[in-house]
Amino acid sequence: MTKIELRNITKSFGNFTANNDISFCIAENSVHCIVGENGAGKSTLMNILFGMIKPDEGEIIISGSPVTFASPHDAIAKKIGMVHQHFMLIDDFTVLENVILGDEPVKGISLNIASARDKLKELISKYDLEINLDEKISNLSISIQQKVEILKLLYRDSDLLIFDEPTAVLSPIEVNSFFEMVRNFKNTGKTVIVITHKLNEVKEIADKVSVLRKGNLVFETDNVSGGIDISEISSAIIGGAELLTIKSKDNQAKSGQIIVRLENISMTSNKRKCLNGLSLSLFAGEIHGIAGVEGNGQAELADIVCGIEKDFEGTAEMPAERASIVPDDRLKKGLIMEFTIGENFALKRKGNSYHSEKELLNSSEKVINSYEVHAPGPEVKLGSLSGGNQQKVVVAREISSGNEVIVFSHPTRGVDINAELFIHSQIVNERNNGKAILLISSDIEELLSLSDRLSVIYKGKLVRTYETEELSNALNNSEENSDGKIHLVNQLGKLMTGVSH
Amino acid sequence: MEIIYSVFSFTFLAQVFRMMTPYYLGASGANFSERSGVINISIEGFMNMAAFSFAVFCIMTGSILLSLILAVIVNILFSILFSMFTVTLKINQIVTGVGFNLLIAGVTKFLMVFLFSSSSNTPRIFVGYELSDNITAFSIALIFISGYVLYRTKFGLRLRSAGENPWAAESLGIKVRQYKYAGVLISGVLSALGGIWLVSSQHNYSDGMIAGRGYIALAAMIIGKWKPVNIFFACLMFAAFEALEITLQISGAEIPTQIIQMLPYLITILVLIGFIGKTKPPAADGIPY
Repeated sequence: MTKIELRNITKSFGNFTANNDISFCIAENSVHCIVGENGAGKSTLMNILFGMIKPDEGEIIISGSPVTFASPHDAIAKKIGMVHQHFMLIDDFTVLENVILGDEPVKGISLNIASARDKLKELISKYDLEINLDEKISNLSISIQQKVEILKLLYRDSDLLIFDEPTAVLSPIEVNSFFEMVRNFKNTGKTVIVITHKLNEVKEIADKVSVLRKGNLVFETDNVSGGIDISEISSAIIGGAELLTIKSKDNQAKSGQIIVRLENISMTSNKRKCLNGLSLSLFAGEIHGIAGVEGNGQAELADIVCGIEKDFEGTAEMPAERASIVPDDRLKKGLIMEFTIGENFALKRKGNSYHSEKELLNSSEKVINSYEVHAPGPEVKLGSLSGGNQQKVVVAREISSGNEVIVFSHPTRGVDINAELFIHSQIVNERNNGKAILLISSDIEELLSLSDRLSVIYKGKLVRTYETEELSNALNNSEENSDGKIHLVNQLGKLMTGVSH
Repeated sequence: MEIIYSVFSFTFLAQVFRMMTPYYLGASGANFSERSGVINISIEGFMNMAAFSFAVFCIMTGSILLSLILAVIVNILFSILFSMFTVTLKINQIVTGVGFNLLIAGVTKFLMVFLFSSSSNTPRIFVGYELSDNITAFSIALIFISGYVLYRTKFGLRLRSAGENPWAAESLGIKVRQYKYAGVLISGVLSALGGIWLVSSQHNYSDGMIAGRGYIALAAMIIGKWKPVNIFFACLMFAAFEALEITLQISGAEIPTQIIQMLPYLITILVLIGFIGKTKPPAADGIPY
């Protein structure tokens, strides 16, 4: 029986379509996994289901009747509960206070703590949660905090539970006990939706899998007694079929000497091992692509290559001058939105610290003309430009600094197609100028069409590196070679999701 | 020797409890506001406004009860204005607080001259000690009332959630802004009582009579780590120093009173530096939501 149905859900943010005409059904009393890359539209879809975002079009049908949610409160009232990736807990409150907040039992004007405690104790033993109700959240481990979030849903009698990347923060043993819990929910008649990156987990717990890619629902399959074909799913996630049209670059790289050499690098941050014996060499005149699911150590790698991060083990040989970087989040790291283009450029200029107004305007003008930035004038603030044009400004500034090494971290994320083409051509240009380039991306299409060398990062380690020759053979554009491409893409998908090593 | 006797007398103790009153009212009020996430540094101004309007209403109406109600209403109006600025319009809370303090100082001075042709004092007001004693009794009861409201009621739980993590609170369907308004409103009402206590114990309103008590109340709230009972003891300490200063002045001892006057501030600074344990404000205190 269908518990919940999504019909033709569409949601756009400006020019970007996060969800495009998505329809699917979730059976009652089942575990439904939703998988896809970052930015594929999973979180948007779940936020729509939980009433946090209103869809532009489409409807949600619960147990046969259409519903509209103005806020999460409406969704909660329909017994939908969600555990967010970042927990919504109050550190200074006890477990009990956190759970009852917003739905407090009262006796007269007092809180009825005793009755809440009874109800919670019953739930804790029923679902085997092992939580001390009087402990403050700030004293609890992440996995226990997750259980508190789950207890919040159970307390509200939710019968549809949504988990956004629940295992990202858990250790392998905790993952197993989480699965145990999910099965327990299913056995007691609840319906569970799990958003995840990890296909091994999908194989283990899902009854049905839906794959999102670039805002579209591209693939669905049932998992009958764990007999699901993972390679089918992984190629759907990274868009295997579309990738067949990728051409290898016309001109081959003229590799020079090694500019950056990282040897056996390990790094721990926030008690988490984020790099684990990573080795990497960057050659002059070469683009080295890094493929991987986000959060496997890419950000830390970028910081080390740029010389921002110095607290690591292992040897690193790098040029004295810092590398240029096009950061993954231009809003937070790359640009100041309240500044003009010229001022943003001046931020990184060496030497003379005085800038006349005329000088700044001239420099804005120069960038606008030579990098095809669409801006109403040289004096406008960066914040008023489109995302694609802002990204062009970062790329332009980093390229023009003339450093030997350039790191591009997700350089075309969230930009329009024209900006994407322009940025790609600039990256290839810089390679031809003899720069050593590290290209980090979760877009396989981008990586395959630009990289001269390609490595897959998984759990802080490069698990496989494809040399130039191997890559160009696989991507060689002839009729009889389509098998080679499919093979390569499938292999990448498995490596990225940790299915094979 | 005489000084020591006078310090350990019942009269002295009663004096301390009386003088604690405006501190504890102001500090409890500020605590409700900060627990909801709004820093209210205009406790000083709120006390001043209520003290002035209570004096004026007493002179105009002759009824103490009516004047008390009207003075509280004036403060409620100011609190609503303060909340509109800080919560609805999200203007910086410190700037708004400073603005209110200066505005109220100016308005009261102006009205003093306008109403009484004197920039310093109102005429004498005949308020018996009954009112100030009742307010003192209330402020002692407030230890239990504010503890109960904050920790044992639905309202208190939600108010505190607004100050700790408004995003989490909102995700559970709590109307965070309403609770912030409520927190500021309570701070307005309680500091009004503090101002009224001053007028009723000094039998008139004089310009500058709050004399920094609103700011000391904030210090007491911090020393008391935002907890009703601890705040009470911090207020008792400030009151004890104030009483000691007066006792010394009367006894004519040769200790310079400035030293005693200085002590509470010195202790406050030491506490803030971290000598007496760490103090942690509500996690989202001062952050507009």
